[in-house]
Amino acid sequence: MSLSYRIAYVFLRNLYSYKRFVVPTFLVSLVEPLFYLITFGVGMGAYMGAFGGQPYLHFLVPGVLASASMMSASFECLYGTFVKIVHEKVYDSLITTPVSADEAVAGDIAWGSFRGLISGVLMMVVAVFMGVAPAAPWRALALVVFMIFIGLLFGSLAMIVTSISPSFDFFSYYTELIITPMLFFSGVFFPLDHFPAWMKGLAEALPLTHAVVLSRALFTGQPAPGWGWRIAYLAVLAAAAFAVSIRMMRKRLIK
Amino acid sequence: MGTLVTASALTKTYGDFTAVAGIDFEIREGECFGFLGPNGAGKTTTVRMIHCVSPVTSGVLTVAGLPARIDNRDVKGMTGVIPQEIDLDVDLTVEENLVIFARFFDIGRREAKARIAELLRFAELEAKARSKISELSTGMKRRLLIARALINRPRLIVADEPTTGLDPQARHLIWQRLRQLKNQGTTLILTTQYMEEAQQLCDRLVIMHQGRILKEGVPGRLVEDEIGREVIEVRTPPEDDARVLGQMAGFACAHERVGDTLYFYCREGHGLRQKLLELDLPNTLNRPATLEDVFLKLTGRSLHE
Repeated sequence: MSLSYRIAYVFLRNLYSYKRFVVPTFLVSLVEPLFYLITFGVGMGAYMGAFGGQPYLHFLVPGVLASASMMSASFECLYGTFVKIVHEKVYDSLITTPVSADEAVAGDIAWGSFRGLISGVLMMVVAVFMGVAPAAPWRALALVVFMIFIGLLFGSLAMIVTSISPSFDFFSYYTELIITPMLFFSGVFFPLDHFPAWMKGLAEALPLTHAVVLSRALFTGQPAPGWGWRIAYLAVLAAAAFAVSIRMMRKRLIK
Repeated sequence: MGTLVTASALTKTYGDFTAVAGIDFEIREGECFGFLGPNGAGKTTTVRMIHCVSPVTSGVLTVAGLPARIDNRDVKGMTGVIPQEIDLDVDLTVEENLVIFARFFDIGRREAKARIAELLRFAELEAKARSKISELSTGMKRRLLIARALINRPRLIVADEPTTGLDPQARHLIWQRLRQLKNQGTTLILTTQYMEEAQQLCDRLVIMHQGRILKEGVPGRLVEDEIGREVIEVRTPPEDDARVLGQMAGFACAHERVGDTLYFYCREGHGLRQKLLELDLPNTLNRPATLEDVFLKLTGRSLHE
């Protein structure tokens, strides 16, 4: 792999381009959490009463933080990167400079992670206004670091899909068959305790499940069972996805 | 003058398809070297290997003594690329396109600012610095591509069909700029399928066809050696051939029939024209031989897709 500090230049390029889209993307990033927190948290939560001794919203927020980071990072590395490669030809010009294709891809994954972080942080701010805050101020900071990591993980996974995608339509397979189902199997909206054993087993294989458990532990301060191996699983998966995505994108970009 | 680029037995294959079939060439420092050929001749593939974005399958290729390997940052750092396709960053303004490219080349902020001001002037785009790319005409976009390629003060410029899709004014402006760069000592590599462009700019050129080099030389001399000085086109039906050729028997001219036209390639055509006029043919054309004739002779007149 040919990676250097030049990754930062690719990130910078995205930041420049982002200037023009800041307002619309902030609006989208704000409306999405409000939608989740109000419909599920307030609307559905009203029927659920206390949830582990607390209002449902307290259960929901940490899970949605993780899933929002996942969503934004994934979409950025699917659609955002695809547009840059196929429609805007940004990569074509970029690789004629001392910046390598590997760095371009890594920079875009970093960028996806950043977009995930923005979504997560906005969500956290909205939650605080709704009376759901991390158990201690430093935990907010820990969650920021965690969301960056979640973004790198799901950004890399999405980048693998982008590397083999012939067109936009191809992304539906990934978003509809993997990302969306994962949202409902990973304990974002309800605990997995009542799943039958095979469904639990399935859920345990999904990275988002562990991200949600860890996010909840970081948020509430209640220790998560098996947090060590969960972190290890996600870290190994992230490293593998990153390496594979770079290799596969190189195949797409270098002919 | 020293040699800047050397290729020997340079080959590029994609699966079963051979895009470049073991070619040899040398490009001297400070000259304009052209790759001329029809679509699919292997010109673009060759220059992409030179500027290190496409891996060499086999053979040796060096730029300034360095191996032209994929991602060779030293070669890329001294090269400016003017691409065939307009790949400006449409999310960025004219100025930002240059700012971000300066970053890619590790150029410090203050230095970048000075160079960008100078390049905007060079490309006559000062008034458009804050414009979006979509607000530019094709000619302006092409000029910005040149400015962008110069941001790192390159020793070598690779221009891949730099005037595609331009009107004559815009094309001549680009040619002037490229010649200006050459006069400043920059080495220029040009690919083109426009004969006029090759004749306008190139000191030496190779004619490529199906991944091979058919001919190498100085444009003017190539024309004279391969074709002669003059071409006469006689548009008559093939039935007239015997009569026309009979009339021409005394002249040392090569001839060729293509479709509705009988071509004569001659060293000296004046008396010949007189002789042809005696035949009272309705449609004859006497013109100087050009690179286009060489090109068509060497690559055949069939369509190359």
